[in-house]
Amino acid sequence: MGGLEKKKYERGSATNYITRNRARKKLQLSLPDFRRLCILKGIYPHEPKHKKKVNKGSTAPRTFYLLKDIKFLLHEPIVNKFREYKVFVRKLRKAYGKSEWSTVDRLKDNKPSYKLDHIVKERYPTFVDALRDLDDALSMCFLFSTFPRTGKCHVQTIQLCRRLAVEFMNYVIASRSLRKVFLSIKGIYYQAEVLGQPVTWITPYTFAHDHPTDVDYRVMATFTEFYTTLLGFVNFRLYQSLNLVYPPKIDGQTDTELKPAEGTEYAMDSESYLEKLSALSASLARVLAPAHEDEVEMDEFPVEGETAEQMDARKQEQEALEKHKQLFEGLRFFLNREVPREPLAFVIRCFGGQVSWDKSLCIGATYDVTDPSITHHIVDRPRVEPQVVGRYYLQPQWVFDSVNAKLCLPVADYFPGVLLPPHLSPFVTEQEGDYVPPEKLKLLALQRGENPDDESEEEDEEEEEEEDDDKEEEEDESEKEEEMKLKKMEEQKTQSNKALPVKVTAGKVRLEDKQRLEQEQQSEEKRLAIMMMKKREKYLYKKIMFGKKRKVREANKLAAKRKAHDTAVKEEKKKSKKARRA
Amino acid sequence: MAALPFPKWRLRLSLDSDSTFPSPPQDGSRKRWRRTSGLPHSVAFLLTMAAAAASSSFLGLGPGSRDPATARRRSRGPRNRKKGWKRWAGPEARLGREIGDFLEDVALQQRATGGLIAEQPDEGLFFLDTGDAEKDRRLNKGREKPLHVDLVLQPDSKVPAPKNILAHQVPNGRKERRRREFWEKKAEKGVLPRAERRLRARLQRGGPPPHKTPEKGRSDPERGFYDIWAADNPLEQALVGQDGWFLQQTKKQRVKRPARLGTKPSQVPAVEVIAAGGSYNPTFEDHQALLLRAHEVEVRRKKAEDKVERQLRIPAGTQLPTAETVFQEQCEGLLEESGDEGDTDGDAVAPAEPQDGPVAAPRREKKTEQQRRREKEARALAAQQRREKAARCRRQQLFRLRSLRQQLRRWDEELLRRRQLRLAKRRAKDVLPRRLGPLKYEEPSLEVQLSDELAESLRTLKPEGSVLRDRFKSLQKRSLIEPRERAKFKRRYRQKYVEKRAFREVTL
Repeated sequence: MGGLEKKKYERGSATNYITRNRARKKLQLSLPDFRRLCILKGIYPHEPKHKKKVNKGSTAPRTFYLLKDIKFLLHEPIVNKFREYKVFVRKLRKAYGKSEWSTVDRLKDNKPSYKLDHIVKERYPTFVDALRDLDDALSMCFLFSTFPRTGKCHVQTIQLCRRLAVEFMNYVIASRSLRKVFLSIKGIYYQAEVLGQPVTWITPYTFAHDHPTDVDYRVMATFTEFYTTLLGFVNFRLYQSLNLVYPPKIDGQTDTELKPAEGTEYAMDSESYLEKLSALSASLARVLAPAHEDEVEMDEFPVEGETAEQMDARKQEQEALEKHKQLFEGLRFFLNREVPREPLAFVIRCFGGQVSWDKSLCIGATYDVTDPSITHHIVDRPRVEPQVVGRYYLQPQWVFDSVNAKLCLPVADYFPGVLLPPHLSPFVTEQEGDYVPPEKLKLLALQRGENPDDESEEEDEEEEEEEDDDKEEEEDESEKEEEMKLKKMEEQKTQSNKALPVKVTAGKVRLEDKQRLEQEQQSEEKRLAIMMMKKREKYLYKKIMFGKKRKVREANKLAAKRKAHDTAVKEEKKKSKKARRA
Repeated sequence: MAALPFPKWRLRLSLDSDSTFPSPPQDGSRKRWRRTSGLPHSVAFLLTMAAAAASSSFLGLGPGSRDPATARRRSRGPRNRKKGWKRWAGPEARLGREIGDFLEDVALQQRATGGLIAEQPDEGLFFLDTGDAEKDRRLNKGREKPLHVDLVLQPDSKVPAPKNILAHQVPNGRKERRRREFWEKKAEKGVLPRAERRLRARLQRGGPPPHKTPEKGRSDPERGFYDIWAADNPLEQALVGQDGWFLQQTKKQRVKRPARLGTKPSQVPAVEVIAAGGSYNPTFEDHQALLLRAHEVEVRRKKAEDKVERQLRIPAGTQLPTAETVFQEQCEGLLEESGDEGDTDGDAVAPAEPQDGPVAAPRREKKTEQQRRREKEARALAAQQRREKAARCRRQQLFRLRSLRQQLRRWDEELLRRRQLRLAKRRAKDVLPRRLGPLKYEEPSLEVQLSDELAESLRTLKPEGSVLRDRFKSLQKRSLIEPRERAKFKRRYRQKYVEKRAFREVTL
């Protein structure tokens, strides 16, 4: 019964946490500086489990940090730099007030500055760690590089962001690592595979920027400050991995060609280099001239625990990837001036195509409109008047859709003035039982190498034009077929969970019996298990099953809706056709 | 009379006329005098003021003046309050106030015209107006109406600014001269000031130190990068090969980052790709699905709004409180009590009985000795039987080994299930944003384009939403920064509205 009385809030979680204000006082920093420090060092507030305990009995909502984190921050050399900067500002203000211009100059020359290199190394001890966190860095840099050069943030930051973004795009082109593109209403999503890591980022459309007022620009600028440093080091390493010169240089021959001829009318000498790089039309110089090595097949060593089938699958995947990388190899594109140049040039060059544009549009055009070797002309106007024979005139969506489909899609759907097929998101992967839109089904069929829908549709159209009377019957038939198909699909969907399709082959009666018996046994067991379930578990099970059923039902509903929509569209078409004829 | 700063005619006029500004001298000619329109309005006002002052004839020198001491004194309030002693009253005060007014008036005149108006020549105040424009122009040559711009650009006050003394004298001149003389004397002896000595020493060493090119800052667009993950990176190159203890003690060794900070606070991906319906050219179903989601959000918001609206709505006419109901409400407790009392008075006899006190528990009879014995025996027997049964069960358990094992297994399974449930719960929580401050995280509004807003082609696409806001919200969602509101700007002092002449007069 002895001992000292235990006091409240002197041990346990109350001592593990510290409020933001106390942390700030401990570090002797102002709130903005504290925020900046936390962002740079990657230290984030924490939500304690028992807030009242941590808050010494008070329930006021506060921001808490882990005390150990703050103690770690105490060792940071940047903290001292922040304090120095504060003193510098004070001195400068005083000198300004006294109109002591020489002092102002001297102070400005000795402005304290800090670097973030060591923090990058500390937060990302290995290169792979940095690659995993690249999404944020890229999105931020691409976003900031589109900002207008006005007072919202430092112009230097914007320029640095632009430079880093261009460098990264050039790397992606050189390594051909782009995988997916998605044009959304918000911006363009890209996904690349950098050294085996999937990296996703979003870029805004050019000129689409409005400055939202509910965003804290200082916080965003601090994040960007860190991410620019990170991206710079990552870029260096990436260029090194491809034996490219860093900072990037345009390949030697093209450089000498370009320099005297053009560039002066676009930008100043100091800026034209970055401009030329950002045109994305030239390839980059390498440290060692690439010796033309014969394509040597790598010896393959089977990985342990891998069957032949798996190896085959892997090999096939590899081949498909190689094919995907060379999607536009040998094609020559020309971009009309109304299409977004940068994303298109980037995507086309990522898959081995050659691209050019009008000379007056941007620096770095390599060939003219009249070049007879152009195979694809990207246009975004309802109709093009003088059409040159020997090239496809296409809408820009063809490029993006082809990249996502991993094959050059049939061009007929993308001619100028034609109603485009929908642009599907490559980031959506349908699971079993989900509704798959017919467009996607068609695409999958195309990828498998089949081409049935096209012909039948064409035939349909021809027939439609030929005979008016038979049309409706045919449509009915086709509808019936579709219905049958849908029904089958639904059945498959619903059954796939429950029972496997049973085959009967001669001579293997016993085996089959076994299977069936097993199945029966299983289903019996399942039923029994359901019966034996606890009330709570049964509830959960029923919920899950209900969810599955609902999913299927929703998919069916969507399919029906789609059919109704299609028929409505068809009817309209028919009517308009009739009207035109009449 | 001579001490007065007003000319005779003005005084005369002011004494007998009710005109508000001085009229021109009557020299018998048919020319009419008009006030110089070049004078600013303030002067006109001033003239009226002067006239009024003259008519009231301060200082008691005018013919109609009364002695201020004899003037009816305004009764002041009681002196026991602060308000009473605030006002400075009495004959001296009156005099002082009048002197103050006079001086203020003089200063105003000086500011406006550069001197007293009374000392101005007539030509300075008036010009000739014959009614004929051409004639007027000829007569008033050289004193045309100045342009508005020129007036605006004139200084506000005609009183010349005080002279800048520093332009004529050197500050600390004597001290500086003495210092100079001192150092001259020293220089004769060969002693130089410190700064001079240092400069000469540097010259002997061979000119100024080579100018170091400043290192490029972290956000310089031309800054260089290096391989930070290589073994020989310049960051750690400096510390290689040095004694660890030394580095630690001199704080050159970086503190190791705790492994705890390697995990992110949330498992949400950095870039969340928009739903398939957010494509610029979506499929019908995807777009409908996205629209449905947006619709649901909107319905929820509308519902909340409606609820508030409903609660705040003034009730319909019949339900509005009338004087009667208000009165009733006010007397709610009082009336009832009195009514109750009346009731209880009426039938006080009936319910008084049961409230007499707590009902006494029925008393138990005392047990007999025999009863006690029997009970004891029964208890012993029951205990015996229980013991026997337990022993039997224990013996039986040997044969129940299988079922026991199963029980144990089931228990283990149960534990595993619970653990998994707990884990799943935690994982589900990882996706949700944390509560990091007074404000909760709010989902940004869903970006969606209506069916008629959808673009036909990429060229006509109108982007929706902002990537900047998307990034910012994503940071909040991942609990990297706490959600907060923009600090409201609070003014320390109230603003004073001053109308500057130059702006006031420019009206279109």
